[in-house]
Amino acid sequence: MSDLFESPSFPEPELEEDDEDGLEDEASEVGAAPAEANRAAGGRARAVLEHVATSIVDEPDAVEISTERGRAGLVLSLHVAPSDMGRVIGKRGRVAQAMRTLVRAAAASEGTDATVDIVD
Amino acid sequence: MSLEQQAETVGAFVRGVVERFGYADASTAVRVEEDQIVVEVEGENLGLLIGQRGRTLDALQELSRTVVQRRGDEPSARVIVDVAGFRAKRIAALEAFVRRTAEEVIATGEPQELEPMSAADRKVVHDTVNAIAGVESTSEGTDPGRYVVLRPAGTAREATSA
Repeated sequence: MSDLFESPSFPEPELEEDDEDGLEDEASEVGAAPAEANRAAGGRARAVLEHVATSIVDEPDAVEISTERGRAGLVLSLHVAPSDMGRVIGKRGRVAQAMRTLVRAAAASEGTDATVDIVD
Repeated sequence: MSLEQQAETVGAFVRGVVERFGYADASTAVRVEEDQIVVEVEGENLGLLIGQRGRTLDALQELSRTVVQRRGDEPSARVIVDVAGFRAKRIAALEAFVRRTAEEVIATGEPQELEPMSAADRKVVHDTVNAIAGVESTSEGTDPGRYVVLRPAGTAREATSA
């Protein structure tokens, strides 16, 4: 929502990270944690997307994710059963937006960026 | 699904997300409070799961709700997800801010407009103001730009609520 408060805004509680985008800095810290052997960057983002998508849809077996490395990071293309399209998009795109936010955070935890395309 | 089954489903979902983020040491607790399911994740360095202004946490909560709304046959429970106590801290900070603002409004006699907020946050504001004599609150504007105005008691122009 608005970051342009003219009225006094209440202080947000402090998080471990404090930067504006909330994406870059922590990656190194998390990455320094014992990383699963030879996990390609983006593995977490993909795993999170797969978990979320299969948990939401009626036909988890139809969930497929293809991964491409784009200029700005990972592009994850999500395929679901046609009857599940409405579920993964949600009212006014809310579910799709929430998936993108969560997947991006997962990608940031391993030092990369990720976008999600829902393809039919 | 019964409330308990829904709680189990939501808990497993959140636990699965936390694991896939690589937070091996985080713990996820689920409890049922009246008609709502509360999921709390505790651990170190969970900032990424919260995100700027709680955006990632809100996304996780939205998806957790979606997971139990899969079958529309029964009314789904309310689902609250918190990470490292963020929501509780945030509400406490909002209440403290509203109390300070209310004191200013009473002292100066001038209304003050707050920033646009979600319906849940506006309710926190109204509830806090309601407990303070000499000041009242109304919501104005339309979502997502709807905001609360604090005024000295008895000067409200329009009686809208929430």
